Amino acid sequence: MSPALPAAPAAQALEERAIRPSEFRAACAEEVERGARFCGGYASAASGALEWTALFAAGAVTTALRTPAVAGEVPSIVGLVGAAGWDEREAHDLYGLGFAGHEPLRPLVEHPAAPADWTVPVIGEDPYDVAVGPIHAGVIESGHFRFHVVGERILLIDPRLFYKHRGLERAAEGADPGEGMAFAARACGACAVANSVAYAGACEAALGLVVDPEARRARTVLLELERLYNHLNDVSAICAGVGFAPGTMAFAALKERAMRLNRELTGHRFLFGTVTLGGSAVEIDGAAAERARAVLRDLAADTALAWRELRFAASVQARLGGVGQLTPEDAIRLGAVGPAARACGLRVDTRTASPALAYPASFEPALPPEPTGDVAARLEMRGLELPVTLELLDSFLGEPLSPAPAGKSVEGTPERTSPQFVSEGVPATGARTRRGVARVESPRGETVCAVELLDGRLARLHLRTASYANWPALAHSATDNLLPDFPLINKSFELCYACVDR
Amino acid sequence: MFVLLRHLDRVRREIALPPRHGANSLAVRHVDAGSCNACEHELTATAGPHYDLQRFGIDIVASPRHADVLLVTGPVTTRMRDALLAAYAAMPEPRRVAALGDCALGCGVLALGSELAEPLEELLPVDVRIPGCPPTPEQIVAALAE
Repeated sequence: MSPALPAAPAAQALEERAIRPSEFRAACAEEVERGARFCGGYASAASGALEWTALFAAGAVTTALRTPAVAGEVPSIVGLVGAAGWDEREAHDLYGLGFAGHEPLRPLVEHPAAPADWTVPVIGEDPYDVAVGPIHAGVIESGHFRFHVVGERILLIDPRLFYKHRGLERAAEGADPGEGMAFAARACGACAVANSVAYAGACEAALGLVVDPEARRARTVLLELERLYNHLNDVSAICAGVGFAPGTMAFAALKERAMRLNRELTGHRFLFGTVTLGGSAVEIDGAAAERARAVLRDLAADTALAWRELRFAASVQARLGGVGQLTPEDAIRLGAVGPAARACGLRVDTRTASPALAYPASFEPALPPEPTGDVAARLEMRGLELPVTLELLDSFLGEPLSPAPAGKSVEGTPERTSPQFVSEGVPATGARTRRGVARVESPRGETVCAVELLDGRLARLHLRTASYANWPALAHSATDNLLPDFPLINKSFELCYACVDR
Repeated sequence: MFVLLRHLDRVRREIALPPRHGANSLAVRHVDAGSCNACEHELTATAGPHYDLQRFGIDIVASPRHADVLLVTGPVTTRMRDALLAAYAAMPEPRRVAALGDCALGCGVLALGSELAEPLEELLPVDVRIPGCPPTPEQIVAALAE
């Protein structure tokens, strides 16, 4: 007789702790010391009083450390966790929350006109600054970069994004969880599935919903379809970054085939509207699944061929090595995620910590043989991950996909109750706030969604996408490089602006 | 590289795009005024081998000073308003404005009202409307080639 195994967890766990401001920094330091990774911070007034939450990830467990603002201020953790820099600046701009110890607390979302109010001044005889954007020369999203250079050498880049800030998080407040999906999905076209799955996971965690295995498989298929077309797009973009037109066009053609497959399987080239809260509406019958597998096999063969050719294009390869290098130490300090982090040799991939998705237990993130952390390694990551994604899709589509009914909250699942700041005099509404957090591996790395529900409606939605996590690392990696190499470095990360700006 | 070129050649043969008609040309300058990036992906695709926008003499150019058409995506955020108007002001006349996608057309926009400027139709004289979320590359090519 075999002993009964404990049931595998059905979703990522959330451990919430309410902490006094005086102990907040020590509690965060403890998280860092035990090896947890900072994965986001957000301000919220959903419970009636302004509070700050820092999220830490360790495996499939997310820890949320919450502290109330006292006199509009909480202790900054940016000295402990460099990755929290943007989160704190954003909370200051949008919620007026101060961070004691974050000096100077420069604006991030707000756009003061005078450069001295938001960027570092250029001092000295030789350095000068180059302002680029918000409108760029190609078909590129809008954002402004301020380069400090000496000659052609970059000393510092200050990205000023949020030109596309649409206030999506605040616009979603008051919506019911089902309606709120649209705000998360439309934050970004190229990460629509990852954002939707993260949002759905966060709401399901807050509501105590258990998702049907069929819906888990559907979401995993959608996530990998999204990764497929994005990675093909990124290889095409990197080829464009070095002016290698045959590679740009060949991978653009492969991407187009992937997007046509998306339309055939789900009715939409960007897979919009395919993720639903609690269940799944995706239906792929046996014949359609077989057709899709045939398309994927052809795509795999042609991708392998094109990739091999790219490896042998010496003029391309010679442009990639040593450009935009990120050290593993900087990647950790700045909170890089996804292929950008793996290109530095960091074994971080949220697909290994996603019990609510259908990834096989044997799944291991691919790492480049030489994790040099430069443009070459980031390109290599796409080449390594494409066959894995194609194989995963082939195995997931071995069976047809049926729609799954919306998950029911399982009897005995405790309603999530959040710990309270007993001694801080938090208003009674706090007890009715239900919180959920979910982390999902998007094509660009880990995307985190946090929700707070009050009386069944969204009181706070926070989406911290992989692009948001990676922007500081991108800016840092361009230091000491030549100014004309920045477009190539930028394309090797291929981060979105839309889901950063929201 | 020759394998890639042969691959592209095969793609072109399989798609068998019809040859272009007429002898007109058009220079298009794109401005993202707050889109979700899907319209940008599809606009980039129109220049790819499956659609080949250039066979109509249409080119996406780097500067508004070289452009006949200002192609706008997104619902026009407050922060992009001035940059958009500056790009339009830099264009030589005659000039046209095209709205690409539902957001630019003011349909079903998801956003906080205070973060948006006036709708594009109130800011600039829109001549071409390309609906869709996002419009497919076929629809973009058809609208621009018309």
